Amino acid sequence: MIQLSLPALAQAERAFVTRLRLDRDQLEAGDSLLFESDATSATFAGPHGLLSIEGVLPSDLDGDVVLMQPDIQRIERLLRAGSPHNTLLITERCDQLCVMCSQPPKKTHVDRFDLLEQACLLAEPGIVIGISGGEPTLYKEQLFGMIERVLEARDDLEFHILSNAQHFGQGDVERLRDPSFRRVTWGVPLYASDAVLHDEIVGKQGAFARLEESLAWLMLSGARVELRTVLVSPNLDALPALARYVTRRLRFIDAWSIMQLENIGFARNRWDNLYVDHSRSFAPVAEALTTATLHGVPARLFNFPRCTVPEPFRHLAAASISDWKRKYVEACGTCAERDACTGFFEWHPEEAVEGVHPL
Amino acid sequence: MTFLPLRVRATRSGDMLCVNDTGSFFATTTRLLDRLGDNQLTPSDLAFLKAEGHAIDPQDRLGDVAYLYNLAERATFAEQLDYLILVPTLRCNLSCSYCQVSRAGLNQPGFDWDDATLTAVLEMLDTLPSPRIKIEFQGGEPTLRPDLIRAVIERCERFEERQFVICTNLQRVDDEILALFERPDLYISTSLDGDALTHQRNRTATDSNTDLFLHNLKAVIDRYGPHKISALPTIDPTAPPDIDTLIDSYAGLGFDSIFLRPINFQGFARKRHSASREQDAAWRAYHERFVRRIIERNWRDRSTVLEETYTSICLRRIFQPGAERHVDLRNPNPLGIDYVVIDHDGTVYPTDEARMLSRSGVIDLSIGDVISGWQSEQRDLLNAHASNFDDPACQRCTYQPYCGRDLVDDISRYGRIDMPRLETEFCRRHLHLFDFLFELIYDNDPATRYSLSRWLRLDSNPERLGARYT
Repeated sequence: MIQLSLPALAQAERAFVTRLRLDRDQLEAGDSLLFESDATSATFAGPHGLLSIEGVLPSDLDGDVVLMQPDIQRIERLLRAGSPHNTLLITERCDQLCVMCSQPPKKTHVDRFDLLEQACLLAEPGIVIGISGGEPTLYKEQLFGMIERVLEARDDLEFHILSNAQHFGQGDVERLRDPSFRRVTWGVPLYASDAVLHDEIVGKQGAFARLEESLAWLMLSGARVELRTVLVSPNLDALPALARYVTRRLRFIDAWSIMQLENIGFARNRWDNLYVDHSRSFAPVAEALTTATLHGVPARLFNFPRCTVPEPFRHLAAASISDWKRKYVEACGTCAERDACTGFFEWHPEEAVEGVHPL
Repeated sequence: MTFLPLRVRATRSGDMLCVNDTGSFFATTTRLLDRLGDNQLTPSDLAFLKAEGHAIDPQDRLGDVAYLYNLAERATFAEQLDYLILVPTLRCNLSCSYCQVSRAGLNQPGFDWDDATLTAVLEMLDTLPSPRIKIEFQGGEPTLRPDLIRAVIERCERFEERQFVICTNLQRVDDEILALFERPDLYISTSLDGDALTHQRNRTATDSNTDLFLHNLKAVIDRYGPHKISALPTIDPTAPPDIDTLIDSYAGLGFDSIFLRPINFQGFARKRHSASREQDAAWRAYHERFVRRIIERNWRDRSTVLEETYTSICLRRIFQPGAERHVDLRNPNPLGIDYVVIDHDGTVYPTDEARMLSRSGVIDLSIGDVISGWQSEQRDLLNAHASNFDDPACQRCTYQPYCGRDLVDDISRYGRIDMPRLETEFCRRHLHLFDFLFELIYDNDPATRYSLSRWLRLDSNPERLGARYT
């Protein structure tokens, strides 16, 4: 597993963002250059003084955009060079309480918008920056401001923002219609077409109705939306009806991702009640996928290891698990499709890999 | 509650097919229609109509916007020119009985692009804003001028996506032509009228030409595989070939898509095949038998999936709006916007059929030329009539959301565009085709569902393709 947070010491007293460089020729404003390194630490020098990072080879950090927090003496690798999986956490607050939440919300909020914006401006050319939470649109005004300024300054960047879409309104439409927002995709969760079931899963009464309203505004904004449905026992049999709903009412979406459960956060303690062994009960998933394809809605499977998906649907199983939390198990060693396969979450339980076999 | 208008048509099997403006459809019985008319809908009727987008609650903002989106999705969006049909020469080394374009003789001077035309074509390519380009080289026989083909292709290097198609009779496949064929972005399109005898009668005339064609066809298939090459049969509807013989001649070469195309009422065919103005019931029955035979063969031999190209396109248009870019069936049908034809003399036509009609002296449908442009009154005049939205017959037609409008076809057959729609060949052909398709969609026979599911590019065979409410 790749460590996203590392112990570090800095001269500066306040938090700062910098990009780490090994090569003087690549140095730009705001960067820190490798000063010295030994077996256990690497020291960089930059506009914020000296920064010493422990437990990592300097070559692994080259080009990374990091956030140093002197108060807790750690760096956070916000944007790792060469990785397609970089996500910025806007807040840990959320107004939904989904049964399977992988990152259970907290009550407090630490405002880091200024630092995150600096990080975005230092991003490698042409990447997609993920934005996540908690719920980012709880701070909609600051979020939109940051997105707009970064997209204005950097026409090569794109954003992928995870949002429960409980906060979009008519007042946002004009703003979101700006062409720069074509470079923003909203990842929006929808678990069922039945309002009661969806509300139950997200732990908030009225969430489905509010989500429908937001989706209407997003559609009118010409927004790009990736619909996300995490598969859990309560919605397995409701998937075909959801597919029908999507093909009637949400044809504007860019993609529909049906996602297998991640064994972390709330899902860890509720695993037995939530986890669906799709290799044994694929029929509702298959029906949903076929309905979507029939009506021209691009659907795909996230976090589904390829050998566990019936062959005709395998081409829809994307390598979706982020590099830093992805693992392969013993049976994957000789598999021919490993490179195209999502693998497993680092924290995936060993007993749930039964039947995994090389292709 | 707002009810969206439903167009209703009795299917061959006695169901009532209901379709709304967005193309969303279901089959039902007259009982539901009676309840709707009498304002006696049950709660379950209402729930079904709402879920399927046929009725919208006043509070249902998403339903409202989704309806507008789905409606817009059915309309062609054409903005940028990114598809060109180029005729570098009108000369040809064959003389087929139904030649579409009034060909010129092999050694006749004055039927190739001159330098000014070539320069204008190349300069026009430089101005195109689209990152994609598709170019079809037609003729005449374009391989008579590989130098012109090369010049065009070389000028297209800057496009992110390129696709070239050479429409050729494959009489000439020498090293110079093969060098072009080698390009991975180049495809070959040819005519194959069935078995060798039929092909020779219609096209190649002599044994040696026929042998040359078949030899070259096999050679390019061996070299590049069947997916680089497509072939189309042209069929004399008064004497169509035996169905299995035709399928075998295609399947035997590895082709899985067969475009069953009756002689086009264009060019020389107007005189030599005057019966081709209207296709009769016999032709439509032949087409149905052909498709049903393919369904049987697909079911029996699962190793390949054969399709009748146009049937398959129309089927996908029913379910997957926007998935096809077939310029012969779309609505509106913008002319001279996203694709044009540039003739051997630099004249610009909105479609290939418009070029043929003009060549045959029926009517001048040119919209400009490649040097001075084609943003012309003629083009605007055509576009003012290029949709089926306002046609009184189409407005009432169940199949309007799936159908298109073909002005040039009407002009070709009737010399006018204001024929009552139901009396046109275009309408009869598509009414029949969509009737047939909905019969297949609601057919529970597993063989039928298997083929339809493949033509719809599905990963499984769903229990039903069309919604039913009883």
